[in-house]
Amino acid sequence: MTNFVVALFVGVFFGFSLNKAGLTKYNKIVNVFRFTDMAVLQFMMTALVVAMSGLYALRGLGLIEFPAIPATYIVGNIVGGLIFGVGMALTGY
Amino acid sequence: MKFILNYIRKETWSPYVAGVLLGLVGIATVWISDSLLGASGAFENLAGLLGKAVAPKLFDNMYFNFIMPPGITYGVMMFVGTFFGGMIGALTSGTLMWGKKGAANSDAQWKRIFGPQVWKRWALAFIGAIILEYAAGIAGGCTSGLAISGGMLLAPAAFLFIMGMFASGIITALVIYRKNY
Repeated sequence: MTNFVVALFVGVFFGFSLNKAGLTKYNKIVNVFRFTDMAVLQFMMTALVVAMSGLYALRGLGLIEFPAIPATYIVGNIVGGLIFGVGMALTGY
Repeated sequence: MKFILNYIRKETWSPYVAGVLLGLVGIATVWISDSLLGASGAFENLAGLLGKAVAPKLFDNMYFNFIMPPGITYGVMMFVGTFFGGMIGALTSGTLMWGKKGAANSDAQWKRIFGPQVWKRWALAFIGAIILEYAAGIAGGCTSGLAISGGMLLAPAAFLFIMGMFASGIITALVIYRKNY
């Protein structure tokens, strides 16, 4: 139950940051593929760098353990990514 | 304090600031609940729940029994939270379009390229979303669940996914926009 409440809060902050970065807008998503607005990449890479360094530092201190890391299926990941890009450019999700 | 409040009211933040916020949320998720951010899995959990109720035979397979078990999962709760989080974000900047005129098709750039028809916007969004969800099923996650959550754990899968996503996204945008690219 507490886990569900945590999930709800995490979701709220997740949606909030997406909205403030402008990623809830069609033009932001499509324009990254047209190289006219790089907000999506700036947002994603900043999030990655912050989370990556934070998580590895916390693990180094022995405070957390990593959950199951998404499995690598080279063909599946690439083919999935290729199809995903088509949908992303179509909808602006 | 005043500065922070004013910044929250801004419609679009610097993507770097928003990115730092998301990064901290990602850390908190792993630390507190030992799980990852994600958005696409929730749809499959809900679809499984619906499918099991309507056509139990059809949904009695490996995928819905073991890989994506149906039910109100952690991901579903996060999905609900994300919906309201986005709304709160729009409310704070006064750009919430809920119930307003033109909300069904509000993007100026979309209208310039495809025309003002609402049905077109919704039809394309529907088809595109099917493609998205199907692809997320193949790859094992979407932009948030695989690219960001996997990337922050340095999972190779995430970076393969990002590569594929941008390669085909750029090509699709080229095809759609043609002269306007």
